Formats: sequence, C-alpha cells, structure tokens
Amino acid sequence: MMVNVERLSYSFGTHWALKDISFTLAKGEFLFLTGHSGAGKSTLLKMLYGALPVTRGRASVAGMSLNTLKKRHIPGLRRKVGVVFQDFKILPHRTVFDNVAMALEVRGMPRAHLERRVRAVVRALGLDTKSYSPCEHLSGGEQQRVAIARSMVANPELILADEPTGNLDFDLTMHLMDIFKQFNTYGTSIIMATHSREVLDCVPEARILHLQDGRVVAEGEQPPGSDTCSCPPAPDADMAGSGDDTDALLPEGGRS
Amino acid sequence: MIGRFLRLTLRGLADFRLHPVAQLLTMVAVAMVTLLTGLILTGFHTVNLELLKSRGQVEFQAYWKQDQSRDAVRADWDAIGAMPHLTDFATFTPEDALTELASTLGESGDFSWLAGDNPLPHSALVRFAVPPEAQEEGWAARLLTALKELPGVDTVNYTPFQTDLAQGWMTLSQVVIWPVLGFLGLVISLVVHNTIKLSLLTRMDEIEILSLVGASPSYIRWPLLTSGFLQGFVGASAGLGLLAGVHSLAADALDFAPFFIRIPFLPLEQMLMLAGGVTLVAMASSWVAVK
Ligand SMILES: Nc1ncnc2c1ncn2[C@@H]1O[C@H](COP(=O)(O)OP(=O)(O)O)[C@@H](O)[C@H]1O
Ligand SMILES: [Mg+2]
Repeated sequence: MMVNVERLSYSFGTHWALKDISFTLAKGEFLFLTGHSGAGKSTLLKMLYGALPVTRGRASVAGMSLNTLKKRHIPGLRRKVGVVFQDFKILPHRTVFDNVAMALEVRGMPRAHLERRVRAVVRALGLDTKSYSPCEHLSGGEQQRVAIARSMVANPELILADEPTGNLDFDLTMHLMDIFKQFNTYGTSIIMATHSREVLDCVPEARILHLQDGRVVAEGEQPPGSDTCSCPPAPDADMAGSGDDTDALLPEGGRS
Repeated sequence: MIGRFLRLTLRGLADFRLHPVAQLLTMVAVAMVTLLTGLILTGFHTVNLELLKSRGQVEFQAYWKQDQSRDAVRADWDAIGAMPHLTDFATFTPEDALTELASTLGESGDFSWLAGDNPLPHSALVRFAVPPEAQEEGWAARLLTALKELPGVDTVNYTPFQTDLAQGWMTLSQVVIWPVLGFLGLVISLVVHNTIKLSLLTRMDEIEILSLVGASPSYIRWPLLTSGFLQGFVGASAGLGLLAGVHSLAADALDFAPFFIRIPFLPLEQMLMLAGGVTLVAMASSWVAVK
C-alpha cells in the first residue's frame, strides 16, 4: 500500500480542516482529491509529505508511518515523494535548470546523470528554451511547469500534486496530464488535487475522493462521461513534448 | 562525498551574488562591531602597558641632618648605592643644592652670599624600580624604612602616586577584566547573531524549499555555514583593518609631554581571538538558523 490513511483529522486551532478522513492508495494508483476551495485538499497533502504533523488518526506513506515519524526521517520521506506545491515553491533567483536539479542534488545524484535527467524532464515540459533563465522571468504557467518538472525528475514512487494545472491553458493542461498519466502507467502512484472537470476527465480510470469542509462526502470511480483526454491534442509547435522525450524521463523498464 | 561538500561550499560562496546588498550590510555590521571591540581592547591594552612601565617605580627624597659630617653622609650614600633595584641616585651636597637652587631661580637667584653659612642639608633623590616578582607585600614601605634607618638621615619624602595607581589598576583590572570581556562577548554575540539571522531571512524561502524537496539538514546548513564563515571572517578582517587604520592615525596622539604614550596595536593573540570569536559566532548563528 502506497498510502494508508485512517480516521485522520487536523485542526488549525479550533478550526477542523480535516475530519475523520480514511482512504488507501495502492501502488500505481491514480487518485483525485476534489472539492471546493477550502475543502481541505492542500491540508491533506501537506500531512502526507510531513509538512503538518499527524495529531489525530493514523497515516503511512511509502511504508513510513507518519505517526511515529521522527524529524530526522522527514528528508527520507520527502525523497520518496515528488510534490507539486500549489504555490510552486520555486526559487525565483535561480534558473529553471537549477530549480529542477535541486531535487536530484539533495539526493546526491552524480552530476553527469543529473544533467541528463534534468534536460530530459525540462524538454518534456517544453521548458528547454528557458533552461538557463532565472525563474522570476517566467510566466505563471511556466513556473508551474518548473514545479511539475521538479516533482518528477527524481522518479518518485509517489507524486502529490496540488492543483498542478491551475495556471495553464487547456492545451498545456492536456499535455501535462498526459505526462502524469505516463508516469502513472509506469507505476508511479499519484494523488492530485484539482477542481477542474477537464483534469478529472483526463484520467477516467482514476479514483476520486470528494472533500467538503474537511470530510469525504463522496468516493469512488468516475462516472462514465466525456473522455476528452484519452487522445490528447497534438502538442503546440513551441512545445517539444514528443513521445521520445517523455520516454527519456521515465524509469527504464517501468516500476515493478 | 568530498566532491559533494566541495560543491556545497562553492554554492555557499556563489550564493553571495544572490543578495549582494544584504551580504554587504551584514559584513559592514560585523566589521563595525569588531572595530568597536578592537578599540576597547586597545584602550585596555594601552593603559595596561603604560602602568606596567611605571609599576614598581618609586621615588624618595632624603634629607640628612644638618650636623652630619661629610664623611658620615658619604657612608650613607654608599649604603644606598648598594641597595637592590636602585635605578637613579642623584646626590646633592649643600653646595650642589645651592647651585641647583640658584640655577632654577635664574637671574634673580644669586645665593653666593649664603655660601659661607649654607643652611641647606645634604640630600638625595633615590629611585627604585622593583620588578613585579620582588614586590612582596609592603615593599615600598620597607624601602622607606630602610632609608629612614640610615644613621644620618633626617627625613624622607615619598611619592607613592604611581605605585599606588599601578597597584590599584592591577586590582581593578583583575576584578573588571572578565566582566568587561564577558560583556564584550555578549555584545558581539547579540549583534553578530541578529545580523546574520536577519541576513538569513532573505534565504528562508530557500531553506524551506530545500527542506520540502528532501534535503537533509546538513545539506541545507553547509552552504549557510560557508556563508556565515565568510561573512564573519571577511567582516572581522575588515574590522581589524579599520582598527589598524584608526591606530595609524591615532598612535601618536598622546605622544607628547607629559604623557609620551605611544598607543600600541593589539597583540597578535588578541587579534586572533577577536577575529576567531566573531567568525565562530557568525558560523554558529548560521547553524542555528535552520531548526
Ligand atoms: N495555516 C493555516 N492556518 C489556519 N487555517 C488554515 C491554514 N491552512 C488552511 N487553513 C484552513 O483550512 C481549511 C482547508 O484549507 P486547504 O487545505 O488549503 O483547502 P483547499 O486546498 O482544499 O483549498 C480552510 O478553511 C483554510 O482556511
Ligand atoms: Mg489548496
């Protein structure tokens, strides 16, 4: 089991942002968190990568129990998980390359290997012409892609994505969802918070956890509906997201 | 592993270009604290050296009884000449004293009419410099007694001023030096710590993000430690440089009568302690900035 959450609650002071949440995520599964703004999606994800402590209920991620997690184990947890933060959390003064490479550097990856991987991911996300621009010179959508690239570059077992396509137009959203899906196909588990119908439609086989005021109010498979994403639009001319590039960034032979 | 530390160190150095103004201000603040502390230490050091010079020095004026024969006085003078730690010994026969008096008074002083019946006694100016190791309790009083006990000696005057000052300073500085050093250390720690902490505020985002993508605390801290070291070291060096500048301007400021004090520069070990202390505080502050 990649993620196991039992009766998890969390309060900011007197305000309960999460109430009695339970769910599981198997290896290689794709789960959407939906719900209106303020429903508790970000709070739940933050708990899963150790940014908020588990104070009530039980949770484990990638075989690590969050209840008994010591401070010194948090870096280990975060290296198993790739996170796309809702507010990106990229360093504006550093280049696209440096921001993406950061995730590999903290894991101590040798330089030559690191450069190859970073270039592949940056190209797959259509950022290769901006590789050496400081991120502060990029548009919001480009910064979001940098954040996505960083979450993927280390080939984590689990990707937690908090509204990763919030700033992107339709075509780009479809393209990125395609990349997420390819990772998922190769065995990466994904939890994605979104409130976009289009995004949900991209992964019809995904499970959905619908939150409202911190509670799970609906859970299950997607209702059969329009499947706009099964055949993604051709990438834009300026987007270099060809299949070859995407292959280069996936783990060899997939995940077992 | 070594390559990784080297790269992190280089990153710490390269980070200087990210917030040049903040870094510069930090170093200026560190330099100023170092300068101020250096000035205080220099002041201490100067007073110490000056009093060390005069410490143990004592001067007596001895007057012989009027009725003493020339030979009796000479015997006393020989006895004084044999006393330990004697540095200056000026003797005056009544005739010498009269000439001296006349020359001091200049033209108006013609005392030749007194020569036949000179009212002045034999006298002497005796100076001792007693080294610290020979200064047992009451050493000056003992010298005084020894002079007074010479058979022909009438009175002895004693200028204890410098000796007492030196002794007083010794006592005072022993009592005061540690609290003062402690206070200086506290001021340095507070100012440098807070300055470094402020300069790290510009990097809190980076620290947070590195931690969120799984960096270990040591990975985050090493570049900060490098910058802290550099800020402390460059700041302290600049402070000592400023101190040297101030010193070269002011070294001779007291070098005239009656002081003749040449202000010495801080001794090497004090400079090293100052620079090392400041650098250590800077590094420690960078270290504790990451919880
Ligand atoms: N740091 C915080 N302090 C206090 N309340 C917070 C904090 N973060 C989130 N909340 C509250 O918790 C609830 C859930 O927020 P969040 O998880 O960000 O929702 P979502 O991501 O679904 O929009 C909201 O009511 C929000 O106001
Ligand atoms: Mg949110």
